Amino acid sequence: MVRLADLPPAQAQRLAAFDCPNFATQPWVTGPPLSRRRVAIVSSAGLVVRGSVPFRGRDPDYHTIPPGTRPDDLLISHVSINFDRTGFQEDWNVVFPIDRLNELVAQRTIGSVADTHYSFMGAAEPDLIEPHARELAGRLKRDGVDSVVLAPV
Amino acid sequence: MSALGHYLEEEGIATVAISLIRPQTEKTRPPRALWVSFALGRPFGPPSEPAFQRRVVLGALRLLERPTGPVIIEDFPDDDPRGKSDAAWRPPSLPAILADRTPAVLASRLDAEILLLADLHRRWIAERGRTAVGLSGLSAQELGAYIGEWLHGREPLSPNPGFSPLLLLPFAADDLKAYCLEAGAAEPGKPSSRQLYDWFWRATAAGAALIALRHTLLASDSERVKLIAGNFLVPPPYVPSTDRPTTIAGPTMGPWQPGL
Repeated sequence: MVRLADLPPAQAQRLAAFDCPNFATQPWVTGPPLSRRRVAIVSSAGLVVRGSVPFRGRDPDYHTIPPGTRPDDLLISHVSINFDRTGFQEDWNVVFPIDRLNELVAQRTIGSVADTHYSFMGAAEPDLIEPHARELAGRLKRDGVDSVVLAPV
Repeated sequence: MSALGHYLEEEGIATVAISLIRPQTEKTRPPRALWVSFALGRPFGPPSEPAFQRRVVLGALRLLERPTGPVIIEDFPDDDPRGKSDAAWRPPSLPAILADRTPAVLASRLDAEILLLADLHRRWIAERGRTAVGLSGLSAQELGAYIGEWLHGREPLSPNPGFSPLLLLPFAADDLKAYCLEAGAAEPGKPSSRQLYDWFWRATAAGAALIALRHTLLASDSERVKLIAGNFLVPPPYVPSTDRPTTIAGPTMGPWQPGL
């Protein structure tokens, strides 16, 4: 897996034909060199902190991954069963590359990493996600974040 | 994912997306995306390979410095080195799956298997410092009992007041899979995800129980039960040919509906 050609034909066909949003605008935000950027992770894996309420169905809102979250605290509650979870079970960086981002800060490749990160449920309807995403942008700005890595599953 | 990028970028936050399904990214045309050839579920590549993961992360971040765009869709050059089978890995030794698939036999074998895998699962936690079991709030032994009740045609009590027994079922199934897969991966070697899933669905009592439960619940009069059983218990490649179709059309899952 992979490439669509490696997936079961029915799944590949469904994924390729998936109805995607068609936007009228094409936003484009530039910024300083990476060494001065503050980066957050926004996942669509349905990530939740252990003990909190998992995503239900196609909930369009987001969960926060607060400072101090440990690898054993993070769970995937995505509704789909059609993706590999064994990689995440072994190493959370497969889905949530927080250790890699912190290493890039230590190397001074990027400026800093956000204190808080976020996750949506990838199966949610894009138009229902929109108000939550716009509200999230405000939170990111208040944390000084200017750049986001969007991580699907 | 690409829609998220669009909204955040419109609000003034620069974004770069990992793309797992290139045709979808090409349609949505996000500001920046790095396509990777890895399995769905592995956006940053293989587990326990920090140097490889770092190249993926940095490859994506570097797109933020490109002076011209949108749209940028670039391909990461390398495949997942853990995508190949490891001949050295041997799955846990378990009793053969019996031809008798009655609820009592399936439930009994499931309970016994959970106990058999307990030492391996403890080893996994000791070595990795984590487990992905925990969505349902049920312990390993309780997971066996919960699935067993469903197998017998009885609806168990949900331990979580926010979730009906039916809504909790996929989370219990996810926890049961995680428990077994982690125990299997605790054996020496670096198995591919395909090796682990083939073992789970073809050689474990847990896999047999979930396949049988899917089959049983698809005969329900409830469209909700059929929707959840048909789509959220057994991945299509492992649905027996006698149980097709592999996915069940029906009312959408959400947003969250209290009656579910």
